[in-house]
Amino acid sequence: MSDVFSYLFDSASWSGPGGLSEQLVQQLLLSVTALVAALAVGLPIALWLGHLGRFGFLAINVSNIGRAVPTFALLALLARFSWPGSGEFGPYGRAGLATLVALLFFALPPIITQAYVGMREVPADIREAARGMGMSGPQQFWRVELPLALPLVLSGARLALVQVWATATIAALVGGPGLGNVIRLGFANVDRRSEGIAGALLVAAVALVLELLAASAQRAADPVPRDPGRRGGRDLSPIASTVAPAAATDS
Amino acid sequence: MSLRRPLATAALLTLALTGLVACGDDNGDGGGAASGGGDNTPLTIATQNFPEANLVGSLYDVLLSAKGYDVDLKAVDTRDAYLSTFPGDVDVVPEYLGAFGEALNAAANGEGAAPVATNDSEATLAAVEPLAKDKGITLLDLSEANSQNAFFVTQEQADGGLSTLSDLTGQSVVLAGSPDCKGRSDCEGGLTGTYGIDISEILPLGFASPETYAAVKDGEAQLGLTGTIDPNLDDEGLVLLDDDKGIQPAQNYVPAVSSEFLAAHGDIEQPLNDLMAALDNDTVNELLGRVTLDREKPEDVARDFLESEGLI
Amino acid sequence: MTLLAGSAVVADLAAREPKCYSKDVNDWFCLDYVRDRSDEIQQATTTHLQITVTAVLLGLALAFPLALLARRLPRLEALVLGLSTFVYTIPSLALLPLLVPLTGLTKTTVVIGLGLYCLTILVRAMLDGLRSVPDEVRESATGMGFGRTRLLLRVELPLALPVLMAGLRVATVSTVALTTIGTVVSEGGLGKLIADGKSTEFNAELMTGAVLCVLLALVLDVVLVLAQRGLTPWTRRVRTA
Repeated sequence: MSDVFSYLFDSASWSGPGGLSEQLVQQLLLSVTALVAALAVGLPIALWLGHLGRFGFLAINVSNIGRAVPTFALLALLARFSWPGSGEFGPYGRAGLATLVALLFFALPPIITQAYVGMREVPADIREAARGMGMSGPQQFWRVELPLALPLVLSGARLALVQVWATATIAALVGGPGLGNVIRLGFANVDRRSEGIAGALLVAAVALVLELLAASAQRAADPVPRDPGRRGGRDLSPIASTVAPAAATDS
Repeated sequence: MSLRRPLATAALLTLALTGLVACGDDNGDGGGAASGGGDNTPLTIATQNFPEANLVGSLYDVLLSAKGYDVDLKAVDTRDAYLSTFPGDVDVVPEYLGAFGEALNAAANGEGAAPVATNDSEATLAAVEPLAKDKGITLLDLSEANSQNAFFVTQEQADGGLSTLSDLTGQSVVLAGSPDCKGRSDCEGGLTGTYGIDISEILPLGFASPETYAAVKDGEAQLGLTGTIDPNLDDEGLVLLDDDKGIQPAQNYVPAVSSEFLAAHGDIEQPLNDLMAALDNDTVNELLGRVTLDREKPEDVARDFLESEGLI
Repeated sequence: MTLLAGSAVVADLAAREPKCYSKDVNDWFCLDYVRDRSDEIQQATTTHLQITVTAVLLGLALAFPLALLARRLPRLEALVLGLSTFVYTIPSLALLPLLVPLTGLTKTTVVIGLGLYCLTILVRAMLDGLRSVPDEVRESATGMGFGRTRLLLRVELPLALPVLMAGLRVATVSTVALTTIGTVVSEGGLGKLIADGKSTEFNAELMTGAVLCVLLALVLDVVLVLAQRGLTPWTRRVRTA
């Protein structure tokens, strides 16, 4: 274990091409880009379906089954196709586009489910009231439903962020960047094992930092006044209240 | 009140699932009529999960199954995964001399230990054997098959007068290979230090990976990393350069056997030694081509070969 | 001698029609592959199913006391949730070899690893489920003289089931995908096909492995939905939404 820490606290391990700081920044870049892309794809679908109140069951079940595709298999497939392929893709490195697409798909299920459930949990009487006040569909959506759904929407994004970060290490399997390289190398070479453990620790530590940052961002962005008992419940409900919206909205 | 039915359903479901899990715990062993003295003794072989190691593992599997052992072949991602349970749960490992030696060396003497493997097979064996013995492992005969790191170029480059790594001395090249190449004496370190080649960049595309072949063929890299046994090279029109200054440590095939298991089952020694004697780089290259290019099953290729050699 | 054998192979190959999984054709979908390797595929699927199901059951068994503990001692809740999230971020390449000295190169090793990985979903689901039980129900049950255990088993758990089952579905489907990492210790089920297909550019093998994962997840998901209907007959009318 002392080897692990001496590696982690040696500035030489962090500097230069292929150093820890470069790999860490590259992995962050991959994760954040994939998350933003997944939000751009998933949120409109989920929010719109939530607004309509229809087809959500289908969307959620499809995206849930999507979780069954091993991300590594998806990545290997995408890298083998002529598009997105395994070429260089800007700062995302080799097979960068394939990696981004694979991570995007990985991030979609929590984003879609949370956003949809968030929309459906807006109480029916509030919707009625908004309609009674003469609000149009878009007005209802922007002024009433979205603000009320925001906590769950954000919790989906937060969950996806941590999962995508931890999974982005697979980029190394197709020659891409990130801390996955450090981990793989360490575990493939018995004489460099401590580097692998150091890489793994670093991934877990950054995941915790991201989780904490996302949690405080979520708190800051939440416009709904505090109600500790209920909010606690919502805060923690990212995954559970998901697949069966009927069950969740009923409770 | 109405809870009895749900509870019964839950109980039934659990039963059904555990039944499903408990049944059919069979291992797909190499099979074959037991003729030797194994008496269905369980024997576990561990190997690494890449095509060449899978093939050699299958050779061991089919051979020892035919000698009457109940063989369980386990292919893991990295050596690291079986090292902690060999000897013990794992009885036999088809090893590579130098790499196994360095792994034992790191385990015994720490990560920074001075290397024990050289390009001399016998000397390396002499250095590795005591380390293995301390761990309760016996090394059987070395094979002539020697699966070292190697570097390849395109046919055109070869036609332009390249045949050895020394021919590249003083030139500046981009190298496609595994990401851990940098600084290693059998990779970038040796190429720059011993051969005086200027490696301007290492593309971390993997060892003998499709991406690495493509990079050299496309001219993105001028040198690629693979092994001395690689049937893809012919197929891709690529040529190995000779390691004329010997930077590669000896990686002869060698059966590593739990000493305790060997003491109780001495009859596995001769067949494994015979197998080692029957293998060389060309033979393995051809057998491996049948697996990776023609896509025959490793077990089938192994059985064919062992039968044709009269080993089973 | 090797030369002779080599040319025999070439002649033999030329005589045969190239299969759709031969390296030159390399189709993504190839029935010949499924037929020729059916033993291997079947075994991989069975192993995959066994590992996934056992791992989720183990995850449930671990999540149950953890969730109860977190509920009883709210101060521990953040710790329990934090730990289960932390476990999720440990790469499999690091976690599984650590278990090998204890449980060897076995399915058990993979099952333990996956059981730990799905805790992050299951503990939350269990807590949410229990929290979804309305306080009035709890109070009236207590008023009727229900003790803590009886309250939990007869009232809270049944009412928490819908939320709990939703979490269980997510955990099960995710575990189907995660089971492939078992290749680290030689027991990856369909992961073996996927890894092998990747490293040898074997398109049909890679695709078959991935497709079977999805099919397996579908089957398990349907089983869970049916089980949920059987277990919670009182929620069925809600399904119209």
